[in-house]
Amino acid sequence: MQNLLLQVKGLSKNFNTFKLGPLDLYVKQGIVTGLVGANGSGKTTLFRLLMKLMKEDAGHIQFFGRNWTENESTWKEKVGYAGELLDAYDFLPIKELKKLISPWYPNWNNQQFEYLSKRYQINLEEKYEKCSNGTKKKIDFIFALCHDPSLLLLDEPTAGVDIVSRRKMKEDLIRFMEDDEKSIVLATHTIDEINQLCDEIIVLDSGKIIHSYNKDDIYDNWARVWISNLTQDLKNHPNVIHYELTPPQIVTNHMDELESVLQAEQITSLQVQRLSMEEVLEYIIEYS
Amino acid sequence: MRIPIQVSEENREPIYHQVETQIKALIVGGKLPPGTPLPSIRALASDLGCSVITTRRTYQNLQADGFIQTIQGKGTFVREMESTRMEKTKQKVVYEAFEKAIQQGKQVGFSKEDMKAIFSTIIKKNFTNGG
Repeated sequence: MQNLLLQVKGLSKNFNTFKLGPLDLYVKQGIVTGLVGANGSGKTTLFRLLMKLMKEDAGHIQFFGRNWTENESTWKEKVGYAGELLDAYDFLPIKELKKLISPWYPNWNNQQFEYLSKRYQINLEEKYEKCSNGTKKKIDFIFALCHDPSLLLLDEPTAGVDIVSRRKMKEDLIRFMEDDEKSIVLATHTIDEINQLCDEIIVLDSGKIIHSYNKDDIYDNWARVWISNLTQDLKNHPNVIHYELTPPQIVTNHMDELESVLQAEQITSLQVQRLSMEEVLEYIIEYS
Repeated sequence: MRIPIQVSEENREPIYHQVETQIKALIVGGKLPPGTPLPSIRALASDLGCSVITTRRTYQNLQADGFIQTIQGKGTFVREMESTRMEKTKQKVVYEAFEKAIQQGKQVGFSKEDMKAIFSTIIKKNFTNGG
């Protein structure tokens, strides 16, 4: 169960105005990892480096427990990437895109392609470049899923996608994960996707991983606590992320630690409430 | 395939334990009779907004306690249970619920008498009106 499908060590890339990494990343089998971060935090750059669309300055990338030499692209047969793969051929109609791309993959499943094209109501005669942004996203998604991949790398797969298709994509991803042997790395800005799909969450800020969590640890550790009185010590405590005076309440990122502080200072906790994922992520991104 | 479970925002118990207790209560209360299929660990995690690590742990515990069984390739189902075990578990579920309520009462500083008064009010409310 704890096989790593993807392992990244010390990966870095310098640009004129931006530096990604060095960063480490481990993607376990059976786990969906959510990649969260503001626009420009480096999510897409990370995907480009992983897919070798761009060369890293330093670091190692291992897919499926192996180092692959640069010319050997067999690992790509087991990776489904929904990002910028189709942009280079955007003048082609979708059915021509399929003819071009399907021979790259020995496990290409045409039935799956037809099923998904119908499910997402894709007009195969349409040129990719003429499609709306949301439709392009759906097409990228379909192409990522049709060659029996073990690992999906999805760069904001539902951005601009309509509500019904979003729900279908969520269902398809849950089905993809059903056998517990595959993994997904999902860059997203959508709280619903984090809640309903992700097991682990990585927060990227200015090219660096600033937090890496199991989602349930967030629920267990973060809380809003209403208290009898707010002391100076409590305001300054490193595990108190935020406080308000009326009524006295604090937000903590370490409930156990906080409980012992409250006891030591003889402060009564009146009520404890878990934070929503949205609140926690905002605190993490804003106060880091 | 949804089952009526909810993770409480105010309950500080770990999620896996909350879910375990609720599924047990549904089973012994007859809401999920033997043979009922349960959602996969992935689908349940999605419904509850938790990780599969948590739902897997829940199912492992329920399986070890004999409440559910997983059939390879078919899914997870509620198991048949002997009536004595069922009775024991019913007792335990209710006992734990009272235990928790009293702990909360103590926390806000209620006395034994305060809590007895509340208890009899609730009993009256629930059992006089045809309940």
